[in-house]
Amino acid sequence: MADSPIVELQGLCAGYGEIQVLWGIDIAVRRGEITALIGSNGAGKTTLMRALSGLIPTQGGIYFADDKDVTGDRAAQILARGIVHVPEGRRLFGAMSVEDNLLMGAYSRKVSRGELNRDLDRVYGTFPKLCDRRHQAAATLSGGEQQMCAIGRGLMSAPRLLMIDELSLGLSPLLVEQLVAALRALNAEGMSILLVEQDVITALDLCHSAFIMDMGRIVRHGEGAQLLADPIIRDAYLGVLET
Amino acid sequence: MLAAQIIINALVLGCLYACIAIGFSLVWGVLNVINLIHGSIIVLGAYLAWGAYQSMAISPWYVLPVAVPVFFVFGYLLQRLLLNRVLHAPVLVTLTLTFGLDLILNNAMIYFFKADYRKLTLKPPMGSVSLFHVVVPVDRLIATVLALALTGLLYLLLRHSRIGRAIVAVRLDRDAAILMGVDVRSIYAIAFGIGAALAGCAGVLMALIFPISALTSSSYLDKAFVVCVLGGLGSVSGALAGGLLLALVEGIGSAAIGPAYATTLSFALLIVFLLFRPQGLLGRKGFE
Ligand SMILES: Nc1ncnc2c1ncn2[C@@H]1O[C@H](COP(=O)(O)OP(=O)(O)OP(=O)(O)O)[C@@H](O)[C@H]1O
Ligand SMILES: [Mg+2]
Repeated sequence: MADSPIVELQGLCAGYGEIQVLWGIDIAVRRGEITALIGSNGAGKTTLMRALSGLIPTQGGIYFADDKDVTGDRAAQILARGIVHVPEGRRLFGAMSVEDNLLMGAYSRKVSRGELNRDLDRVYGTFPKLCDRRHQAAATLSGGEQQMCAIGRGLMSAPRLLMIDELSLGLSPLLVEQLVAALRALNAEGMSILLVEQDVITALDLCHSAFIMDMGRIVRHGEGAQLLADPIIRDAYLGVLET
Repeated sequence: MLAAQIIINALVLGCLYACIAIGFSLVWGVLNVINLIHGSIIVLGAYLAWGAYQSMAISPWYVLPVAVPVFFVFGYLLQRLLLNRVLHAPVLVTLTLTFGLDLILNNAMIYFFKADYRKLTLKPPMGSVSLFHVVVPVDRLIATVLALALTGLLYLLLRHSRIGRAIVAVRLDRDAAILMGVDVRSIYAIAFGIGAALAGCAGVLMALIFPISALTSSSYLDKAFVVCVLGGLGSVSGALAGGLLLALVEGIGSAAIGPAYATTLSFALLIVFLLFRPQGLLGRKGFE
């Protein structure tokens, strides 16, 4: 059990109505690790995350979570397994306060108010900025604060696997560093993380292993450091940076 | 003194208008359904109050605690069994469905209660209070206070309860709410149930003031619609602002140019708002 993947896909196909985007995805996300998902725009990374969180139905293949077949489960059922999706573009509830957003993260957990407050304090401990702004409408936060709020909201769902789509988009390097440090700390406490990230160096540096996607398929898989040294990867994704 | 009386009348009526409109506004804002059965539910609430008083001499304010669960279940089931089936259909389909349901309910009421206008007359009458020559009937005052209380309750529910937060979240971002584990269909049913409960309660209060007949349902629906456009969808405070504005315009208008033109005036105002301020006085995204 300890070595079994927290999430595993076998030949998963998914898309939007008639449009198929994912063509037979095979991945295994290892327990307790940080896994990165890399690919160019339109490769299907967001679609894959949506399929993993049950937001869109699968069109084929099998989805295992903790060795259980969860293919076709609804989003709420997948969430109940501790598989939590922090969506692309943050998708905060803009007119609601920061704290109400965080409480929405815990919506489906049956826990006491005391435990909720403890979890809130934990999130505020990780992101002290959020505590200062707890009564402010989420829409009025800066981009970085919004990302903290989105991750904080995800943490309130008590994740065992935290899936973050586009961690660093639009954020300053300093802030990205802070977020990366926060993720490392969470991972050190045992949380598994699946990360979609445009900044390939940051992603490969942070992750234990990575999957590379192109046109709805997984095209490469390997350890972060190994991929970082791979000339083909460097050529395809880091070309601009080396000139 | 006349001016003061007009203002006070408008304040009293405005709170009642807000109460007529909040359920309609909630359903429109959260489900994106223009609920044409709203007016008939108000009338049904009025008949409930009338029946309770006629047969058992129970005053309307004691009917409210019964009306809330009864109408909530009615609305909840309506949404669960019928409206949830056409959730993703074009807006015309939901409009047609609620229109059809309204026809059924309205005609059923005409069948059972006849089209005659009924009046709920409290015995003995409660009289009126007067202060500086401004006179307000006591029953009307009670209805106003209760209408405000209902409005306040909805505000508290949406702001400070778990279900209320989920209703607001679904309205703001449906997909994100699903990611939080929210069951959208059940939230829709709950929101529709709350809308129906508020409509039923509004009807109970209206029974204290206006004649009761199934034929009045469309005028309640019109009021709710105008209040929503004036105040803006998406907030309890918007419904309150819209209700007060409508009552003021009607009150001042009918004093200045005659009661016959009050409705004309309010619809003229509606058109002005649609043209120049379509979001209403306090309209915004997200129901608070
Ligand atoms: N709602 C949708 N309806 C139809 N097609 C969609 C929808 N969302 C995405 N697609 C299509 O699916 C494909 C993959 O999109 P996806 O958003 O998964 O890519 P991505 O890898 O996340 O890209 P990016 O790096 O730009 O976020 C694209 O071709 C896109 O046009
Ligand atoms: Mg994407």
